[in-house]
Amino acid sequence: MPIMSKISVLMLAALTLLGVSLAGAAGDVAVVVRADTPVDDISFADVRKLFMGDRQYWNSSLRITVLIYAPGARERDVMLKTVYAMTEAQFQRYWISKIFRLEASTGPKIVYSSTMAAELVAAVPGAVAFMDSAIVPKSLKILKIDSRSPGDKGYSLH
Amino acid sequence: MFRFKVSWKLWPVWAATVLLGTPPAVYSQSPDSNQTELIQSLREKIDQLERRMAQMEELLDARTAARAKPEIKPDTLREPIAPMGGPAHPMGTEVRPSELSTYPSLKIAGFGDLNFATTDVRGSRSGFNEGQFVLHLNSNLASKVTFLGELSLSARTDAGTGTPPATGFNVEVERSIVRFEQNDNFKISFGRYHTPINYWNTEFHHGQWLQTTTSRPEMTQFGGRFIPVHFVGALVEGAVPARGLNLNYNIGVGNGRGAIISRSGDFGDNNNNRAWLVSVFAKPDHPFGLQVGASLYRDKITPTTGLNAREWIRSGHIVWRKENPEFIAEFANITHETVGARPATFNSQAWYVQAAYRLPGVAALWKPYYRFEYIHIPKSDPIFQGVPSLAGSVVGLRYDISSFAALKLEYRRQRRPDQQRLNGIFGQTSFTF
Repeated sequence: MPIMSKISVLMLAALTLLGVSLAGAAGDVAVVVRADTPVDDISFADVRKLFMGDRQYWNSSLRITVLIYAPGARERDVMLKTVYAMTEAQFQRYWISKIFRLEASTGPKIVYSSTMAAELVAAVPGAVAFMDSAIVPKSLKILKIDSRSPGDKGYSLH
Repeated sequence: MFRFKVSWKLWPVWAATVLLGTPPAVYSQSPDSNQTELIQSLREKIDQLERRMAQMEELLDARTAARAKPEIKPDTLREPIAPMGGPAHPMGTEVRPSELSTYPSLKIAGFGDLNFATTDVRGSRSGFNEGQFVLHLNSNLASKVTFLGELSLSARTDAGTGTPPATGFNVEVERSIVRFEQNDNFKISFGRYHTPINYWNTEFHHGQWLQTTTSRPEMTQFGGRFIPVHFVGALVEGAVPARGLNLNYNIGVGNGRGAIISRSGDFGDNNNNRAWLVSVFAKPDHPFGLQVGASLYRDKITPTTGLNAREWIRSGHIVWRKENPEFIAEFANITHETVGARPATFNSQAWYVQAAYRLPGVAALWKPYYRFEYIHIPKSDPIFQGVPSLAGSVVGLRYDISSFAALKLEYRRQRRPDQQRLNGIFGQTSFTF
């Protein structure tokens, strides 16, 4: 029994350390869309327009649906810091105000996990989301930003 | 081993203990604050689980309906990393997957405020007053068709008087707009708008909580006569990238001012002469946060006095759309050209500059602000008879008590020709729901 206990404790410690190291190694954040979305490379300014609701159509027949993580996710923190340059409270007020002005007919859709984000991006035409670049499914397209992919030097979302 | 033996000879004692001893013990657990919190916490947990279950079911439906089955390896993806719920608002970002294609999708939100005022003007009375109770309705009628409605209820000064007695509140349809969208470059809408020739008028509408200060600048006051606050007609709008300038435009045609010039021609145009407007503003990529715009408005006015006049409004604004610092400056020049035997031209100007700064760090809930405003109206302008000129300042402090409610306190000083100078303290709590 004592030996088994020690092994269990060691395994638990190893898993914990592994988990911590994986969490610490979180990579760049990717902007992902469905494979059939008619865009491959966009500027950072365009990313900002997409997620701030200033650009709402990929083209006349394809509306953009923005997916945003619920509070607490790293992707949301990166997005608020780099794209919106806002605090959580400012972000909330921004969207209430934008819909009140009829500049947008609806706010971003909230996702609660990367699984949900990936499934919705794949299912909803025109959807776009932030995801940790290390876990993006192959079926989704990662957009280049200013001709740089996640992991490239100078990539802006991390 | 110790064994506990029950003596059945003592059953009356046991019975008495059960009957008499238990109730006080039960009653001693009557709902106290801890228990209430526990129940509340459990209820919230159940609500969260139910919401999550509903979302899972909806997600399952969405996946079934999807044309292409995504190639996803769930084992490579992380588990949920964020709690359900969080800050949510009917007009905010809390949207369920099923709402992606549900029409009509009516959402109702609102704004409210309660005010306190005390001034040194002779004859004035200090006290509280109800601000506006505003309902905001938003509904997608199709993927490219949207309706927006804004209703306000304002307290009446003549409530209870007359026969039949006047009601306590006036109900007003502030905005009612149906919009058809082709793409980002072209959208056309019809309805009753806040005239898009003034930044404040189209940025904050009736949402007192959205604006930093307790009140609007005098030049764009609701019920005021300087700027035509409302516009009934049609509007074409859109945005073009323009090499990073991000030019937005509005082109509108409508009824213009009514016979009472503070009112729009809701029932029809009173002089069979349409008003038109053109508005352009830029929100450049760099520097992020800057907005610069200009507008031109033209109308023919036929007020109740019977005097006709052509009206030109030229306006401009420059705004830094952030909070550290926040900066808003607007200017408008209104030209009235009277039509008749003795044509004459009158020019009136109004402008204001407002600056605010959300404090950093632990003081981030506090936002001090200052505004100076100025209005010059020639006394000889027959259209603006009775509209006084003004020079005034407000200095105040806003405290965001929650994500959706704020407290504001400001000192206001105003000077108008031929009137007593005003010094006043104004307080407000404003919120959205």
